[in-house]
Amino acid sequence: MSETLFEKVWKRHEVRANDEATLLYIDRHLIHEVTSPQAFEGLRLASRAVRRPDLTFATLDHNVPTENQLDIREPMSRRQVETLRANCKEFGVTLYDIGSGRQGIVHIIGPELGLTLPGLTIVCGDSHTSTHGAFGALAFGIGTSEVEHVLATQTLWQGQRPQSFGVEVTGQLPPGLESKDIILAIIRAIGTGGATGTVLEYYGPAIRALSMEGRMTICNMSIEAGARAGLIAPDDTTFEYIAKGNRPFAPKGAALDLAIADWKTLRTEDPSAFDRHVSIDASTLVPQVTWGTNPAMTVDVTGTVPQPDQVPFTSADDAHRALDYMGLTPGTPMTEIPVDIVFIGSCTNGRIEDLRTAAKVMKGRKVAKGVRVLVVPGSEEVGAQAVSEGLDRVFSEAGAEWRQSGCSMCLAMNPDKLTPGQRSASTSNRNFEGRQGPGGRTHLLSPAMAAAAAVTGRFADVRELLGKSK
Amino acid sequence: MEPFVTHRGRVAVLDWSDVNTDLIIPARYLKRIERTGYGPLLFADKRYVPGGAPSPDQPESHGPEDPDFPLNDPAAQGTTILVVGHNFGCGSSREHAVWAVAQAGYRALIAPVKNEGFADIFEGNALNNGLLPIELPEVAWNAIVLASREDGGAETTINLQDLTVTLHPASGPEQSFPFDVPEAIRQRLLQGLDFIAETLLLDNAIRSYEQTTPAWATPQPA
Ligand code: SF4
Repeated sequence: MSETLFEKVWKRHEVRANDEATLLYIDRHLIHEVTSPQAFEGLRLASRAVRRPDLTFATLDHNVPTENQLDIREPMSRRQVETLRANCKEFGVTLYDIGSGRQGIVHIIGPELGLTLPGLTIVCGDSHTSTHGAFGALAFGIGTSEVEHVLATQTLWQGQRPQSFGVEVTGQLPPGLESKDIILAIIRAIGTGGATGTVLEYYGPAIRALSMEGRMTICNMSIEAGARAGLIAPDDTTFEYIAKGNRPFAPKGAALDLAIADWKTLRTEDPSAFDRHVSIDASTLVPQVTWGTNPAMTVDVTGTVPQPDQVPFTSADDAHRALDYMGLTPGTPMTEIPVDIVFIGSCTNGRIEDLRTAAKVMKGRKVAKGVRVLVVPGSEEVGAQAVSEGLDRVFSEAGAEWRQSGCSMCLAMNPDKLTPGQRSASTSNRNFEGRQGPGGRTHLLSPAMAAAAAVTGRFADVRELLGKSK
Repeated sequence: MEPFVTHRGRVAVLDWSDVNTDLIIPARYLKRIERTGYGPLLFADKRYVPGGAPSPDQPESHGPEDPDFPLNDPAAQGTTILVVGHNFGCGSSREHAVWAVAQAGYRALIAPVKNEGFADIFEGNALNNGLLPIELPEVAWNAIVLASREDGGAETTINLQDLTVTLHPASGPEQSFPFDVPEAIRQRLLQGLDFIAETLLLDNAIRSYEQTTPAWATPQPA
């Protein structure tokens, strides 16, 4: 039987393999300040070096304040940031520090720098490493012990090879909808544990039609369905992204031509090779919003908060706990729920295209009274690009706060957090209890839908706004 | 790593599904750069009364515990085996979640249904720390939950030599349930091996693999 894209990339990286374990070679190791200190400490205690500092790249993202990146007031955040700086220096690892022009969320800068390429294995001590799969790389999150293992050996032990899970997305995405709606609909259909033990491959006309930014949003949230990784086969859109732009580490000229010839072989010839398969039709989708405390607890924006005994994959007890935490009553139309905070950013939706989409909705409109809107570019490069296009002014004139780059309110390790009971419309990836601050209530949606919530003060169907003249 | 051969202890039950690692340990505690001190931070936003969670720089000082949280039940005190629901440890890759469970005194976790009990990254992290994640069929899992409720934390033995979980109920016969762990991992756990040292023995294989890397796959000089 023919091989899937995932199996091809996996096999290329086998250093040792038997029935139950494989030693995989790792081509790129990305590092951030939160999950690395104990790994470097482990190396020090064992007098070990970083085996391939030339394949290891670090940045600062989780703790970075976005009002003034340089002013890290919180002593523990400062210590963590300084620890990464010291470790990079001691072990010879390249660091994209604050103010370097290249700092940003680790999953945004990898592709920008040309580090993320088709056919590579990429790991990071961060579950959203799956983002890089949009290039046809096998990219996945690891724990800190594994970070230490990769630093010391440039390899990683894996158990049995995960199954391959094909997700076909047919049809054409209707106007006003984005790739975020596709991935929320997929997670809603298969559940938060629906892809455990598998690697997803997204394919079909609706995927092909997406930009690299849109594809990254989809692969980013693979982990929210429990998948080890999510991949999309590289094509001309991919090659163009790599060839254009300022991507210092990408191959160029003849090397790039050779690479592209190889990358063209990285595809699943025959979908019957997938161990599992599901298909969704993008043309039938409407904008998606989460109502609960995991990303599968999603409804159409035109729908209502569900009854606790009608929540797929969830017991009535668990659904009650989620409704309680979210402060919602079953049967309430989603468009009647008011929001306090809107967060546009994160490794899911903090790229230039996301900011353009949000700006398009907010241009000429005002942020609703009583709503606070944070727009946080995913990287210094995205921020600079947005400024050059005047997007920062669109946001400021509407009454939103234009910030500097970092993870920000996606997980509230920096000063940007919800207070207990506050409700957010967020373009990030996790609506877990307390994720954006203890007691905070998070609803996930697309950048266009977040912008619609910003200007209406509640969840709103962005298709209606786009139809109206401003 | 501390070897795991057999362990006998009492069982606590937290049977919620989809317990994510943000819940197991909230992000603000990830600012710590140490590898120890995470025990009191386990379920910090659930386990203490509102406002009672420790501050990240002082994990040992906290407010009163919330009596409604299952692990604060008097019968759960001193337990060393934690029975959990489906898809435990989903979400963030933070190994701090495993450190918190282990440092709160647990040596093993038991979840229902093969391949559905634990999220992938959490399971790998647990194995790297000698915390044994066991997936049992629903029937066996139910029996342990039931016994624990009746006995107030049933005595249980986990044997990694013969791959069994055995219930020792206060009354009635003992019950044993088989589980499996890939053999290579089982050997490492039994011996408490240093994984990195083991891999470094394969240095020659890694080196010869590196010779085969195509030129484009190495980062071009900036
Ligand atoms: S933006 Fe959010 S999900 Fe992405 S790396 Fe940062 S904290 Fe993690």
